Parts: sequence; C-alpha cells; structure tokens
Amino acid sequence: MRGDGRHPQAGVVRGTNPYLPLPARIHKVVEENALVKSFVLELEDPLAAQAFTYQPGQFVMVSVPHCGEAPISFASPPHQANGFTLTVRKAGRLTGAMHGLRPGDTVGIRGPYGRPFPMHALQGRDLLFVAGGIGLAPLRSVILSVLAHRADYGRIIVLYGCRTPGDICFRADLAVWQEIEGVEVGCTVDKGDAGWQGKVGLVTSLLDTVVFAPERTTALVCGPEIMIKVVLERLEGMGVAPADLLTTLERHMKCGIGLCGHCHCSDKLVCADGPVFSLAELGGIASGCL
Amino acid sequence: MHEQFVLKKDHLLPLLRRLAREHRLVAPVRNGYGDTMYTVVTDVDACRLDLERQPQNSLKPFFFPQRERLCSYTVDRQGEEGMAYRFYPDLPEERATVYFGVRSCDMFGVMYCDLVFLQGEHRDIFYQRRREKALFLTLACNRPFTDCFCHNTRTGPALELGFDLQLHDLGDRFYVETGKPGGVSLTAHWSPFFAPAGDDDRQAQFQNVLEARSLFQRQVHVDLAVRLLARHEPEEVFGRLSRRCQDCGGCAFICPTCTCFNIVDQPLDQGRGERLRTWDACTFAGFTRMAGDHNPVDLAAARIKKRFLHKLKHDVAKHGRPSCVGCGRCVGMCFGGVDMASFVALLCEWDGGKEGWR
Ligand SMILES: Cc1cc2nc3c(=O)[nH]c(=O)nc-3n(C[C@H](O)[C@H](O)[C@H](O)COP(=O)(O)OP(=O)(O)OC[C@H]3O[C@@H](n4cnc5c(N)ncnc54)[C@H](O)[C@@H]3O)c2cc1C
Ligand code: FES
Repeated sequence: MRGDGRHPQAGVVRGTNPYLPLPARIHKVVEENALVKSFVLELEDPLAAQAFTYQPGQFVMVSVPHCGEAPISFASPPHQANGFTLTVRKAGRLTGAMHGLRPGDTVGIRGPYGRPFPMHALQGRDLLFVAGGIGLAPLRSVILSVLAHRADYGRIIVLYGCRTPGDICFRADLAVWQEIEGVEVGCTVDKGDAGWQGKVGLVTSLLDTVVFAPERTTALVCGPEIMIKVVLERLEGMGVAPADLLTTLERHMKCGIGLCGHCHCSDKLVCADGPVFSLAELGGIASGCL
Repeated sequence: MHEQFVLKKDHLLPLLRRLAREHRLVAPVRNGYGDTMYTVVTDVDACRLDLERQPQNSLKPFFFPQRERLCSYTVDRQGEEGMAYRFYPDLPEERATVYFGVRSCDMFGVMYCDLVFLQGEHRDIFYQRRREKALFLTLACNRPFTDCFCHNTRTGPALELGFDLQLHDLGDRFYVETGKPGGVSLTAHWSPFFAPAGDDDRQAQFQNVLEARSLFQRQVHVDLAVRLLARHEPEEVFGRLSRRCQDCGGCAFICPTCTCFNIVDQPLDQGRGERLRTWDACTFAGFTRMAGDHNPVDLAAARIKKRFLHKLKHDVAKHGRPSCVGCGRCVGMCFGGVDMASFVALLCEWDGGKEGWR
C-alpha cells in the first residue's frame, strides 16, 4: 500500500472492555432492494456518539439480539452528519433479523475496527472503483469522501456490476455521481430483465469500455471473492502496479480485533491487518488469500 | 540481581499453607481418578500434591477458560421508542494467585499467551484481569517425560526467565532462584523459609540441569522444520496427516499456546441472554465458514496446514520464535498421530527424499 502504512485507529478507547458493545439507535432504514437495506445509526450515549470517528474501509461488529455479531463496513463517509450508515444484505440469521428492525430499535456496536483505505495516499491519483453487488457499500464511503474533497483527486471512474437489476444498491447515489464533471459511472448486470435498458455482461466487460492511465491510477475493488480475483488479475495485466490495486477481503470474524483467529488468511488476520489490502501486500493473485 | 536460596523439602508444605492464606493457590494435584492436573488448592493438607508427573492440563484454562461469559444482555421490546437492547459487562475478579510447581514449558505457554492477549493493539481485558496478580513458582524438570521435547524448542527443561521463583529438586531440598520482582519479594517476605544457597547447592543444581538435558527420549527437529517451511509448504505432508485427523480439536484444546476462540450468544429467555466465548480450533470444519456456506479454508488438508504453519512459520515471522513449547501433550492426545512430533518427523522425512518421499 502507498504512503504511510498503518493508520492510527481512530475512536478506539484503550484500556476498556473491547468486547462490550455500545447500544446504537436506528434513525432511518432505506430499502436499497429486496435483499439490501441501509441503516442510519447513532450511538445512544451522546458522549460516545461525539467521540465516534472512523475512516472509509473500516468496519464495526454489529450485535442483533440473540444472533451474536457480524462485521459490517461503513457505507457512509466519515463527515456524514447524524450518525453513520451500514448497508446490509440479508444473508442469514443475523442479517435477516436486522432486516426486521425499524427506526427506534437498537443494535449493539463495537468498533471501528480494521485498517482503512489509505485516503492520504489516494490524493492526486486517478481512482478506478470496481464494485460487485453489496461490495459498493465500503467503496461508497470512499467515493463520498473523495467527492467532498474533489480537488484533491484526479479522474474518478466507478464501475458497478450486479447479478440482476434487482440487486443494484445506491441507485440514487449512482444517478448523482453520473452528473458530476470528471466522474464516469458504468453499470452492468449479468442478467437483464424486461425493464433493463443498460448493459448486460460481467463487470470485467466494463473494463474494456473505459480508458485510463495505469500509472496514474489506483484501483479500489470490492465484491464477491471470485470477482475481486478476476478484476485484480485484469487490472494487473493492464499495467496497474500491485501496490495500487486495493481490495477489501471478507472472512468469518468473531472478535474483530485480532485475537480469536477466525479471520486468518495465510499469515494475516483480515480484521487487524486488513480488511483493506493491496495486491502487493497479499503477495499477488496466487498467494492463496484470494 | 538474581538470588539463590535453598528451601528444605520439609518446609514446603508449611510455606504453601502460608501462601494459600493470602493467595489463591494452584498446584499439580493428583485427583481421585489418578490424574495429575493443575488444580486450585483450597486445603494444602487435604490434597495430594504431585510433583512427579506431568500435569495433563496446562495453565491456559486458568487465564483463558474453556467457556466464559463476556457480557450479558437484555432486550426490551415494550419501549416507547422501539426495541431497547442493553449490554452489561461481566469482568472476572482480580485474584492474587500463586501458581506452584509450574513446568518450564507451561511457563512459556503463559508467556506466549501474553503476546497474543496483552501485546497486540487490543488488549484482552478478561485475560489481563486473571493474569495481573499471578505469581509463578516454577519447577525445573530433572527428568523429561516420555513425549517431551522442550530441549528442541528451547523452552526447558529449566528456565532462564519468566518465573518469579524457579525451584530445582535436589533430593532433600529445593534450590530456589529468584526471577521477576514478585519472587524477590516473596523470598524476602518469607525469609525464614529460604536459606542462602552455597556452592555445593549451585553445583548440584548445575549437574541436575545438565543431566536432565541428556535424558530426552525424543528428538523433534523443530528448528529444521522451521527452516524447511520457510522454503516449501509441502501439500503431500499436510494431505497425509489430514487423512488421519478426526476433527476433534483435542490438540488445540490441550495445547498451551492455542488461543483461538468462538463467541456465541446464549439466549436465556426472550428478553435476556449471555454472550459466551469458548475455545475453538482451526482444524474444525466450520472455523472459517462464512454466510452462504462459502468457506475459504475448505479442505481438511488446508486446515491441518494452517495449524502447523501458524505454529512453525507465521508465529516465527511475527514473534521471532515458533509457538510450540515442546510439552508433548498433543502427542499423547491425538490417536491419529496428527501431532507436532509426527508432523516434524514427516516433514523431515519428506525433505530427506529431496522434496519427495524417500
Ligand atoms: C470486514 C467485513 C465487512 C463486511 N461488510 C459488510 C457490509 O457492509 N454489508 C453486508 O451486508 N455484509 C458485510 N459483510 C458480510 C457479513 O458480515 C456477513 O454477511 C454476515 O456475517 C452474515 O451473517 P448472518 O448471521 O446473517 O449469516 P449466516 O449464514 O446465518 O451465518 C453466517 C455466519 O455465521 C457463522 N457460521 C456459519 N456457519 C458456521 C459454522 N459451521 N461454524 C461456526 N460459525 C458459523 C459465521 O459467523 C458466519 O459469518 C462483511 C464482512 C466482513 C468480514
Ligand atoms: S476476527 Fe478475531 S482475529 Fe480476526
């Protein structure tokens, strides 16, 4: 990864009980599509809420009654007023129960955890975002941060692929970004439906349609593991340096703080050493982490 | 400055009785089934202290119990605003504990767990609480047990650091070395029990350690294995061992340095529950399973590989030494022979055939 290496973990209170969640109240629920909802949350304790800061790429451990915890990335940029946003795909027990929650209900939050995207090192670079499905959530946090300081960055390209039109998230954001000068947005689905007038094909097909300067570009890739692998491989082949290929990995996580061992991949713990890694840090495509 | 004393064997029980008044005392005790275990001793005179045999457990469960409550929670769905969900901390009490008769390998086990739970970016407060007021009175081994190979891992039979006091059995007396400040204060506080050691005691202690080193029955070439694994990760070796793994987790549970854990919610009723942490093992099939049944570490061979690479490669990179302490417990535990000694032997055999079987 470029630049300053490990970022200090903003908001971590030391010497306290790292396993104790703080209650956070749901202010708003946005239905992104049939399987995905965005939750705008705020910590109940006003002091804790004020002290709570995070960076794009970090995540929290979310507790839902009787369901344990799951790692969820921030989908909002750190400067968002009134709490933070988590975008959750209904994937099983906990995420299913979370989908049943309404404004006013409470969840538990621990974090923020993990190493964020190296925002500082992205300054001055052209940025190529490639997302698949719910993978746009953590990248949205970066994109909105970048757009808030537009002058600090070069060109921005957002390529987004979903299985079907019904899987697309953040439609309103995509529409807004499209209109911004110097921002290019491409969207494709694997399988269209009757109403779909956009592109059909894998997200990699969008890579053929955009023109970018590999040496000036940092790519941020997030989605299903197989998609990450294919896209990173393609981009490396197109000349983007492994140190400029960033992704965020997903693993089974229990503690989120580098202790329980569940999120291992080779010699790394994804929760503490990642979840953001450059391809160089992962030791290349063949390293076994992808 | 380290000091050396002599403690007469006749004085051991009187000393332990006194220590047990002010501290919780943990020592190797032979129980009614004939098993020797590190045990909390409530009455020094009513239990059978056993300094002859290797305790079956390590000290791990005293600092990191097999099952513990991390917090409890309540859920109130009647509230005006919406469902209220609250968490209540549940920290273990800090109790000054004397661990007596601790074997060198087990002391190293504790030092390794310290690295994991206390030296990272996030401290484990549960471990820290139990660890904070602990004193270690270790016992150097005069005679290694059948499965031991601490001479290969450089974690025994005697220690150079880590203990508060280290005892060496000299027959009718113990030779006692002070280590950390806790041991120095203990000998000062109970000075009538500790006579200054003389040259003959020093000589006897030195002889003992030398002799113990020559008595090992096993050679487990851990250093060689570390060097080999730095170059290759031979799938054949992992594959061969994994076919014999029964996925029972015994090796991880018995291991003084296996610290992986699971966290689960246990509902008590609709409105209450507990969050528990339990030991886990990286060899379990579900250890890395994710939503939608996707599993990045799917094959038994990959899990076995993870276990041995963690101990002999990743920990070497991270902490500068392998995390096997040579206690040999996995050798006794695993009926499939998927233990550290077998792994190292198999790896060396594979390499002896120049990267293939001989
Ligand atoms: C860093 C990170 C960021 C993430 N960000 C997001 C995000 O922004 N949005 C999003 O929607 N998702 C995100 N995810 C994925 C999300 O965490 C999972 O979808 C979620 O954990 C699924 O939980 P569930 O209970 O709903 O699913 P279930 O399928 O019911 O359970 C899956 C979970 O249960 C446990 N489990 C399942 N089987 C076993 C077994 N055999 N043994 C032990 N445990 C088992 C595991 O913890 C597993 O993760 C992220 C994941 C990571 C690692
Ligand atoms: S989730 Fe526990 S170590 Fe990463």
